[in-house]
Amino acid sequence: MELRTASIGERSSRLMKGFVYAFLILASAVVIFPYLWMALTSFKPIEEFFTYPLTWFTRNWTLNQYGGVLEDSKFLASLRNSFLVSTMVTAISLGLSIPAAYGLTRLRAPGGNSILVGILSSQFFPPMIFFIPFYIILSKFKLLNTLSGLVFAYLSVTLPICTWMVATTFRNIPQELEEAAKVDGCGDLRTIFAVVLPLAVPGIITAGLFAFVLAWQEYIFALLYTTTTAAQTAPVILFFYLGQHQIDYGRLMAAAILLSLPVIFPFALMQRYFRQGRGEGSIKG
Amino acid sequence: MLKGRTKFIKGYLFAVPLLVVLALAVLFPAIYNLGIAFYKYNVTDQNWQFIGFQNFVKLWNSVYFWNSFKITLLWVVGNVSLQLVVGLAIALALNSIIRFRGVFSGILLIPWVSSFVVVAILFIWIYHPQLGVLNDILLRLRLIDKPIAWLASPQLAQISLILANTWKFFPLVMITLFAGLQDVPPGLIEAAQVDGANRLQIFRKIIVPTILPSISTGVLLSTIWAYNSFTLPIIMTGGGPMRATEIFGLYIFKLAFDAFDFGAAAAASLVLFVQILVVIMLYLRVVERE
Repeated sequence: MELRTASIGERSSRLMKGFVYAFLILASAVVIFPYLWMALTSFKPIEEFFTYPLTWFTRNWTLNQYGGVLEDSKFLASLRNSFLVSTMVTAISLGLSIPAAYGLTRLRAPGGNSILVGILSSQFFPPMIFFIPFYIILSKFKLLNTLSGLVFAYLSVTLPICTWMVATTFRNIPQELEEAAKVDGCGDLRTIFAVVLPLAVPGIITAGLFAFVLAWQEYIFALLYTTTTAAQTAPVILFFYLGQHQIDYGRLMAAAILLSLPVIFPFALMQRYFRQGRGEGSIKG
Repeated sequence: MLKGRTKFIKGYLFAVPLLVVLALAVLFPAIYNLGIAFYKYNVTDQNWQFIGFQNFVKLWNSVYFWNSFKITLLWVVGNVSLQLVVGLAIALALNSIIRFRGVFSGILLIPWVSSFVVVAILFIWIYHPQLGVLNDILLRLRLIDKPIAWLASPQLAQISLILANTWKFFPLVMITLFAGLQDVPPGLIEAAQVDGANRLQIFRKIIVPTILPSISTGVLLSTIWAYNSFTLPIIMTGGGPMRATEIFGLYIFKLAFDAFDFGAAAAASLVLFVQILVVIMLYLRVVERE
């Protein structure tokens, strides 16, 4: 009797396990499918778009859509703009947030913690409260439809999050290390550059990648404050493709895939650094 | 004493550049926006005129404002509840397996790192009435006999958008709840099993109470994100058909850049802001009680 119940329990838990895996596989399929479908579409010759029922797997693979996108000077200009803006935003965000996070956490500025929480909470502001003020400020300074104008608007998003991420990294570095360096006769700057910063590198890289990806994907401000290829970023050009009278879906899919690719690497790297940053204790040697 | 003060000053000196830029790029615009809400902007002579609370009165009397108010509430409730159910189910599933956990969580995080514009395009393409794969699948399975206009019908557009938005945001709730599940003491579950508790009892009496704080946090985050939505609806429906998906973000956008009614748009953005503040205060009260 005892034995039989045990085996039933075991069987039901194995059944449960199978059910859980089936559920996770289904969920993963739902997540992957849209991208898979987009990729399949982007390699399909345009004639096959309109055949019914839809062709899922074409026999006539083509790179024409990609060729079309990469020959489009508008799209290339927008990629260049996206890259420039994202790079500038990343550099400025790190340049401002590293010293600030250091001052507010390591130098134990009184009230530093409340200031950090205040900075972070601005993340919850709806972007809509900035629609009009930014528009007026940018037009006053003749920064509408310029890359610098976009950088200014993006900093309002990336600075708080970068500061918070870098501050968290600094907090996890034991204060004793720094004190030991001071005892050994290191000055302030030497302590920062020789002791604290090297340990903070993974966290800083993560914050930088985060800022880059945020700026790379940003759409709202780019839509509102750019009007020509002088400053339009890639997401805006994708929207422009959509707005055309005859939407070229093949080209749109190819462009969307090209836009997503650069994000894969930062994300993979970010995950790696997240693990490293957590796994390696700072007091090692 | 002196040493303490130099330390005080030094800490802030490091932070000054950041604080200055934040004051210019965040604090000043936010306060400026507050001021604009009480002015009327004249497009033709670019003149500002103080009109007190008239912008708010105008919103109160506007049918479209109340339409957006209602649509936004439905949007928030729909998104948050769907994301909570999906996120919780997947977090529980991930928590109960060991093999392939990393692979699954890596895949399931993809929507979270996807760009809004790309997600919008993915779903426009899937929902497309003639060329879309969703209708194709349903027709092949003979579940429908003619194509459905997912985004063009007022009854379906909102739910179609909510499904797309849930696809994008469930990972946020999932990771928040998954983190909470790590706090459930494994010994307690084993003890309950020995005592003959079934899965449902364990879930209700042990797991739910432990992860309640994470649930509150997950609900807070997805509520704020839902209120702040803009990109998916503006690309996928533009607020249509017949304003059926015109959530607050789009309403404010149209007031500002279609009607150039800057004052009313600023006032409406404050109404949105206050709604979010109310949600945050509710959250803080709940957390305090817990």
